Amino acid sequence: MELDIYQTDALNELGNIGAAHAATTLSQMLMSPVEMTVPQVKVVDIADVYQYIGDEISALVVFQIQGDLADGGYLVVSMPKGAVIQLTNQMLGTTDLDRDLTEMDQSAVIEIGNIMISAFLDATAELLGIIMLPSPPALAVDMAHAAFESIIAQMAADVNEVVIFSTELKTDAPPVYGSIFLLPNPALLTEILRLLEELIAT
Amino acid sequence: MDRRFSVEGNAVIIGIGDYRVGSFPMATVGLGSCVALILYDARRSIGGLAHVMLPASRGETDRPGKFADTALAVVLREMEDLGCVKTSIVAKLVGGASMFEYSAANLNIGERNVEEIRALLQSRRIRIEAEETGGKVGRSVMYRPGDGGRITVKRADGRCVDL
Repeated sequence: MELDIYQTDALNELGNIGAAHAATTLSQMLMSPVEMTVPQVKVVDIADVYQYIGDEISALVVFQIQGDLADGGYLVVSMPKGAVIQLTNQMLGTTDLDRDLTEMDQSAVIEIGNIMISAFLDATAELLGIIMLPSPPALAVDMAHAAFESIIAQMAADVNEVVIFSTELKTDAPPVYGSIFLLPNPALLTEILRLLEELIAT
Repeated sequence: MDRRFSVEGNAVIIGIGDYRVGSFPMATVGLGSCVALILYDARRSIGGLAHVMLPASRGETDRPGKFADTALAVVLREMEDLGCVKTSIVAKLVGGASMFEYSAANLNIGERNVEEIRALLQSRRIRIEAEETGGKVGRSVMYRPGDGGRITVKRADGRCVDL
């Protein structure tokens, strides 16, 4: 599978719009400016996934993309453990930094993931004129790569590459950073590229 | 973090669906539902590691390390090509966790991977010497076939286990 430069550009732009909406909701929740890296879309061989997604202990909130396509792929919000603690401390007014994740942290990160991903999907689906809805979230607190393996196993039975779109979000006060990953299934990717071509043509 | 675990600079990192055979150090980083199928021949200090993603190849052959059946076959064959004898080969398994607590989709493939590999090893009469599998925890593995077949597993909860 290869993406040409126009397809890569179009996907980056789509991701940009989605991530910008997600960043806005995060910024509103934290009442703090959020910086966002330029989104990157890559075709990654499954054997090389570890080069992009490490083994840092993180909270990963995973959503399946549903709607017009029953299984469109996955969206993931990933936040290192330390960042989650900073985030919930800010929201709840607590200060302890050196602790394990509690149930409260887990609920908070699921909720934040939910809000960010809903904003991401709403914005991209509206642009494309299709319906994309997030499934209920699934949470793992573990090595990021370990959690991704379950997703890759679902997507790559017949193929050896996955398309990974990623953006990093960052705030200074509190010092929180995290990433949004979009892994479209081949069917959704084809559909998105077709719709983007139509958009550009008109 | 426990200091005992480190991916040595000269270790070959084996990604999803990949495998290697030899006496050099090998590592996998962040095993979740995948299983590290590790074979070892102590008499020749040669081993193999496959980073298995799914239980059955259903006829696919382009990535033998990806599926339990093709992975076992290719690692065994390459070890035998290097002079190993099947009767002196033992197996160790790491990984096969269920990573998601409440999951909409069926993301828990780990258990099936482990069960399939156990059955395949049994049918080839290869003994499983040690296992660090299942549960809800990610693991990284460092394997040194040239150094007594030492295996160190670092779990996401910070514990280290030697196999």
